[in-house]
Amino acid sequence: MSSTIPGLKRPGMSLLDWRREAMGYLFASPWLIGFLMFTIYPLAASLYYSLTRYDLLRPPVWTGLANYQEIFTTDTTFRLVMSNTLFWVGLSAPLGVISAFLMAFMLNTRIVARSLFRSIFFFPSIVPVVVTAMVWQFLLNVQYGAINASLQALRLPVIPFLSSPVWVKPSLILIQIWAQGTAMVIFLATLQDVPRSLYEAATVDGANEVQKLLNITIPMCSPVILFNLVMAFIAGFQYFTLPWLLTQGGPNRASEFIAVYLYRNAFLFLNMGKASALAWVLFVVIITFTFLLFKGSGRFVFYSGESS
Amino acid sequence: MVRKFNRRSFLRSAGLAAAGSVLAACAPAAVQPQVPSQAPSTQTAAPKEATPTQASSTQTAAPKEATPTIAPATSAEGIALQYWVAWSGDYVKAWDQMQKTDEYKEIMGNNVLTVKGSMYAEAFLPALAAGNPPDLGGNGFYYLDYMARGVLQPIDDLVAISKIVKKEDFIPGNWESSFYKGAQYGVPANECFERDALVYNSSMVEKAGLDPKTPPVTWAEVLDWHKKLTKFDSAGNLTQIGLDPYDSIGGSMNPIDGFFAGESWGFTYFDQATSKFDLDNDKMANIFDTYAEFYKVVGPDKMAGMRSVEGQGTWGGSYFAAVQAMVIDGYWHCQWTEQAKPEVAKVSVYTWAPVTEARRGVKMQYPGGHLICLFKDSKHHTEAFKVAEFLQTKSACDILFDLRGFLPARPAYLKTVDKYTFPGLDFFFNSLDEATEWEKMVPCVIADFVQNQFNTLGESVYRGNMDSKAAVAQMQKACTEEWQKTGLA
Repeated sequence: MSSTIPGLKRPGMSLLDWRREAMGYLFASPWLIGFLMFTIYPLAASLYYSLTRYDLLRPPVWTGLANYQEIFTTDTTFRLVMSNTLFWVGLSAPLGVISAFLMAFMLNTRIVARSLFRSIFFFPSIVPVVVTAMVWQFLLNVQYGAINASLQALRLPVIPFLSSPVWVKPSLILIQIWAQGTAMVIFLATLQDVPRSLYEAATVDGANEVQKLLNITIPMCSPVILFNLVMAFIAGFQYFTLPWLLTQGGPNRASEFIAVYLYRNAFLFLNMGKASALAWVLFVVIITFTFLLFKGSGRFVFYSGESS
Repeated sequence: MVRKFNRRSFLRSAGLAAAGSVLAACAPAAVQPQVPSQAPSTQTAAPKEATPTQASSTQTAAPKEATPTIAPATSAEGIALQYWVAWSGDYVKAWDQMQKTDEYKEIMGNNVLTVKGSMYAEAFLPALAAGNPPDLGGNGFYYLDYMARGVLQPIDDLVAISKIVKKEDFIPGNWESSFYKGAQYGVPANECFERDALVYNSSMVEKAGLDPKTPPVTWAEVLDWHKKLTKFDSAGNLTQIGLDPYDSIGGSMNPIDGFFAGESWGFTYFDQATSKFDLDNDKMANIFDTYAEFYKVVGPDKMAGMRSVEGQGTWGGSYFAAVQAMVIDGYWHCQWTEQAKPEVAKVSVYTWAPVTEARRGVKMQYPGGHLICLFKDSKHHTEAFKVAEFLQTKSACDILFDLRGFLPARPAYLKTVDKYTFPGLDFFFNSLDEATEWEKMVPCVIADFVQNQFNTLGESVYRGNMDSKAAVAQMQKACTEEWQKTGLA
């Protein structure tokens, strides 16, 4: 046992070795303390609260698996929000990655003012979410939005982007695609790392641009595509700020995602126990999706350092 | 041997210093020495009162606004007090003015009060969970919810010795709203006056060919006005609506503003004595159906789109913007309209809120409003209570009325207010005497959940996704189960 306790002197360990090890842990201690306090402790606390009835105002009361039981058996709202979330993740993540890749691909070509365009395309991802919400609320607004005002001027019926259960998720996907600057920059860096010799060899073999894209560019970028897809999935499952600001989960709960439902339970319904349980369910779902994605990635991800 | 202070030594020392700083920061704060609290006032306990009647013309017998005798502050150093509210903007600015008044200085002494606005449940809950709440709170949470869960400080003893906070000086309904199971947890303050009026833009009404001097009385009549006042352009786009019944007070289902629809239909949805919900009934189903009729005229997506316009999604915002001809709202609407759009305020008419045909002739009113509460875990209850006392003074009430249009639940003060200050305010003052039915607060302690159910299921009904009978059955089941889960049932 003593051999596994960090910092403790083990048999055969010289004083100098021990001092070096202890010094290492000492230098890492600020991060370690922060990790324990702000990551591990809240994780453990939320796991405990998920097994209790807790409203933040009274001490938690142990209820065992009652919250989980309710979520998976009687809570019809959970099924609705889960299906909303799966729809959202299933569409927004791949579409976001595809749009980021296409933007990076176009910005990797030799065009005039390329740097300017790169900045313009990257800019939306650094705009604060609240500002994004206000901008898009203005653009998509059914009465005075730029798009619908043009339609009204042409005596055409307006499109209820954010006020129709049918249109609200596609509208949110549109906003999501607009803000793919970070993924685009990562793709841009990857595209620039693709060896030119491969393209030259393909040209010699008579490949056209589309064939080069499908057989060289995409396979060489596949690890980064996987990375961005995984990050998009994780972010998609935790999607909260924009739907809360724009629609509050409406209309008709069409944009009520699991994070929105979790927030509502925690702070409005005074049901932190159930909210914690929802958080852990979400964690398991995300871990499962990520695992399945990595498991299935072997078929389409090419790592250039691997032996064939 | 002389030890050299080399790079290794420097790094070692710096690392130790950083680790030590982190550990020191994690240590609990040293307890501040208590400054002596203000000398208790030499006030006698208030005499017991007879059971009051609802606010009525007996207000004329109410005592004049007496000049309170306040014990002077004795502490050399004041106590820092924190007061959190959800209101922001003008309300917080009002405190800048209030803190300069003589009454404030007399009551508060050297105590320093910090008023923080925009503080909602998301701020209160973590502070309470951490055992570090502000000294006072108002708005930002449902008072009954917190009373029932034992986080508010009972103030019966402080009220008993207070010369300013006296039961007979308040509108009875408001005074009663500060009690939960026999104990008092707050003092009506800031904003507590009437909630129920049908407001309409007489200019829009006239243009629609209706008589602004003959307002609708029943829901059927309001619906008829709504159909004539809702307008579309040639492409079918919505340009004006009559009434959104879920807007403002019309859609409220909380103890502060009342369950307007229940008051209008004449039933209470929760009985504290039996601890049971009564939502699965014909009246509740009729509420959903009647409200849905208004949405069918407009179109649910178009109504939601109107609501999503910046400013118009806020409380009564569509009315100020003159795209909505009618609204059901409270007395504050008078000042808010005057401030937002004086031209709309000039043509606004205030009348009795609509009722069902079976209740034609009932003139209902709800004495809702806010409290100022102390938290159990805060340290300076006696000093904090003085803020509640200060808010009852004429100077505080005058400033809040001027800047926010807020009125207190104090009949003696109301007599000093010019009821014609804002267009329509006289309706609310006159209703003190003219109302035939005074509604009571529904003591439901899961207010947010019930409100959410009302909005969600109401939307399912008006979008045609659910029958109203199924909706009320589901609402009854969901609210009952949620109530059982709280452990308070």
